[in-house]
Amino acid sequence: MATIREKGYTHWDGELVRRRFAWWPITRTGIQLAFKKKAFRFFFSGGFLPAFFALGGLYVSERLEDFQALVKSNQNLIKIDPGYFKSFLVNPGFLFMIIIVLVFAAAGLVADDLKHSSLQLYFSRPLTKKDYLLGKLSVIAFFVLVLTAVPWLVLVVFKLIFAGNLKFLAAYPWLPLSILAYAALLAVFFGFYFLLLSASSRNARYVAILVFTTYLFSDVISGILGGIFRTPYMALFSLRANLMQAGAFLFGRKPPVAIPVYWSFAVLAAIAVLALVVLDRKIRGVEVIK
Amino acid sequence: MSIEVRDLSFRYGKVVALDGVSARLGEGAVGLLGPNGAGKSTLIRILLGFLVPERGEGKVLDFDIRRDRAMIRRSVGYMPESDCFVAGMDAVTFTSYFGELSGMPRQEAMKRAHEVLFYVGLGEARYRLLDTYSAGMKQRLKLAQALVHDPKVLFLDEPTSNLDPTGRAEVLELIRDIATKKSIQVILSSHILDDIESLCETVVILKQGKVAAEGRMDDLRTIRYSLYELRIKGDPGPFRKDLEGTGSRVDETEDGLIKVYMPEGSDRMEVFRAAVRTGVQLRSFVRSRTSLEDLFAGVVGVD
Repeated sequence: MATIREKGYTHWDGELVRRRFAWWPITRTGIQLAFKKKAFRFFFSGGFLPAFFALGGLYVSERLEDFQALVKSNQNLIKIDPGYFKSFLVNPGFLFMIIIVLVFAAAGLVADDLKHSSLQLYFSRPLTKKDYLLGKLSVIAFFVLVLTAVPWLVLVVFKLIFAGNLKFLAAYPWLPLSILAYAALLAVFFGFYFLLLSASSRNARYVAILVFTTYLFSDVISGILGGIFRTPYMALFSLRANLMQAGAFLFGRKPPVAIPVYWSFAVLAAIAVLALVVLDRKIRGVEVIK
Repeated sequence: MSIEVRDLSFRYGKVVALDGVSARLGEGAVGLLGPNGAGKSTLIRILLGFLVPERGEGKVLDFDIRRDRAMIRRSVGYMPESDCFVAGMDAVTFTSYFGELSGMPRQEAMKRAHEVLFYVGLGEARYRLLDTYSAGMKQRLKLAQALVHDPKVLFLDEPTSNLDPTGRAEVLELIRDIATKKSIQVILSSHILDDIESLCETVVILKQGKVAAEGRMDDLRTIRYSLYELRIKGDPGPFRKDLEGTGSRVDETEDGLIKVYMPEGSDRMEVFRAAVRTGVQLRSFVRSRTSLEDLFAGVVGVD
């Protein structure tokens, strides 16, 4: 190891500033750290595949004469409306893909700080608990929005470019807002969901297992209870079903389960509130053992 | 006075951690001393705003510890006792990251991180992943992140724990340099008496959440009590009991040396009278200069 004081200590003559967005360095660093992981980069790239497939569909829809055989066998592929976008975005496979990407990016967001006792370093700075949580939440929101809002809004633009007119937008002017609203819903829900679980353990691997277990187990429980009680309301136990109910509503489509959509929003909101309560108790500069 | 607390009290559930602590931590290096559970770390955590005191008030650099917590954290550096880092980062990113969180502009934080890492002796290892750092390197890294924003006050919680003798000597040398030549006030909490004795001019000794002694070390050594070291022939039990009955504290080392801490104003002839009363023979009697260890033992009552 090098000897102490290779260079002398000099005072810094700058001035510390009070940042309006004190959480931003946390977000930026969280995003950078995620991109350092190979597995994350792999799955993150994979998260754009549905958008590429959808892009192909959009192209085909505007070049029907070139794809007669395809059109005959798969009529749905060329019917471009909000339902087309919903079929890709509000899709169990796509939701699961987002979860896989977030496991690599977000499982350790709080767990690693707990494991390496770095919370005390954060809170010995002029940071509030709100800044810290907002910084971590924004990391998750960033990745969710990049996988959902960005490519699918771009696809709307591509549809207009392929068509060469604005008829599509005139017919469905609210579609970009639906995409944005759905992306925001996913960003907020997954943000709280991942932070809640990340704060539940000091080991990011356990958090990853916990994420998959709770997500899939909620589906299994919902199915079992649905079979026992014979009521569609048991779908409320499933995280996936609730997200799909809310997604269908935001795209103006019929929800997959015949129950009022506000129940699903209530369940998702309740999980977010639970996350806030848990995070408020877990995130502190010192661990107080009473 | 840069740090002052009055009647500070705090409890963890039913356990009283601080009970009416009043102290003034002046310029230079100040030592916070006490056995485990005395309240040293709690006091630092209250000064940093991690914990809100149940009672009492205090100021750090004229900022109120209840109202101006953000201002205090902007002006102080904190080196925690436990290992802490952010996984997946190198030392430069880590140090500049916390500089930025302290309010430094990004470019400045990065430049300053390089300087501070060279200062603490991590210049060559500054691009290595922190996960691969040794205990000594992590200790220096903690010091670097505490210094990066050029604080006016530096809180060091057990800065030499987990270090080998060479590493310990180097870190102590570094802290001495900061405290004496860089006009940064250092508050050093440690259970290693030698560290405090070699670095600090003033000391606050805590015992069970209360201030047991406070002041300049030289004053504390002389004013509070006199220390006599003696050897006897005979049964030390009754002799010790007799002396303790006169208000003195008596400790016996493994090699039979008896240390008598006599309260201020006591007559040293009491030792001889006790020997006569209990029938022991005094073989040697020396007035000793108190070390911090003696002071600590005399005040706190533990070796």
